[in-house]
Amino acid sequence: MTKLAHTTIVMERTYNASAARVFAAWADVEARKRWSAPADGIRIEYEEADFREGGRDVSRCIEPGNADYVATVTYIDIRKDERIVFAEDVTHGGKRVSAALISMALTPQVSATHLALTLQIASFDEAGMEQGYQFGWNAALDNLAKEFAQ
Amino acid sequence: MTKRSVTHATFVIERDYAHPPAKVFAAFAHPASKAKWFVGPENWDKSNHKLDFRVGGKESVSGGPPGGAVHYYNAEIWEITQNERIVSSYEMHMNEKRTSVSLATMEFKPNGAGTKLVLTEQGAFLDGIDNAAERERGTNELLNQLATYLNT
Repeated sequence: MTKLAHTTIVMERTYNASAARVFAAWADVEARKRWSAPADGIRIEYEEADFREGGRDVSRCIEPGNADYVATVTYIDIRKDERIVFAEDVTHGGKRVSAALISMALTPQVSATHLALTLQIASFDEAGMEQGYQFGWNAALDNLAKEFAQ
Repeated sequence: MTKRSVTHATFVIERDYAHPPAKVFAAFAHPASKAKWFVGPENWDKSNHKLDFRVGGKESVSGGPPGGAVHYYNAEIWEITQNERIVSSYEMHMNEKRTSVSLATMEFKPNGAGTKLVLTEQGAFLDGIDNAAERERGTNELLNQLATYLNT
């Protein structure tokens, strides 16, 4: 059995957009497909998408030459324009590599919105997934800014 | 309108039980066993415990003091390694309000003839209604009830 590691990662961004616009970019699966791919050549495909409390997403992160990462999400708490809390598990080549609780909280500022993303992770492959979450989500949050560029 | 807030906290509880991992694990895995110890205090109204113990399965229980607030626990199981570990996420409600969402990991480690249980809770406490210290206290009470159950 692989060793289990627990970690918490916090990421923050400020976007030049209203909280409603930032929230909409998370709620809309087409927008999420655009901004959540962490690098050129990697694409995200959704097998299921059901953005509501109790709803489930199944997405596949596809990178040529690497086995797919498949994330299964259950949305637990959704407050429109304010926050989203969801649990997810990730498999890589069919093997479960992590489970995580993820909170996204929006705070309106003067003509901008502060986003705090907290990832509470139980990973089953030592540091590999922690680095994966750091890389993947930092890139995604940077991409998200492009959604609000004119 | 409720002032929105999220407070994140992690706590770890370790317990030594004088029973082998298979027996301690079974107290989490078998619905009839878990229903015996995974309940509120004795004076609470009877809870309705449901457990579908498999990856993707759900667990729920509710209860509360007579005439008081009803507390609801709803869980989803994400990872099971027989006799070794269980990872689940769960939400708590008090009446209509969601008070927390947590990722909970149980590890069952052989310890001589017994078991060291390591419980790690990574919680998101919502809108200032509940907090990690109170959750840790409640979790310790449940693990005391588990010890009593295992010893009977």
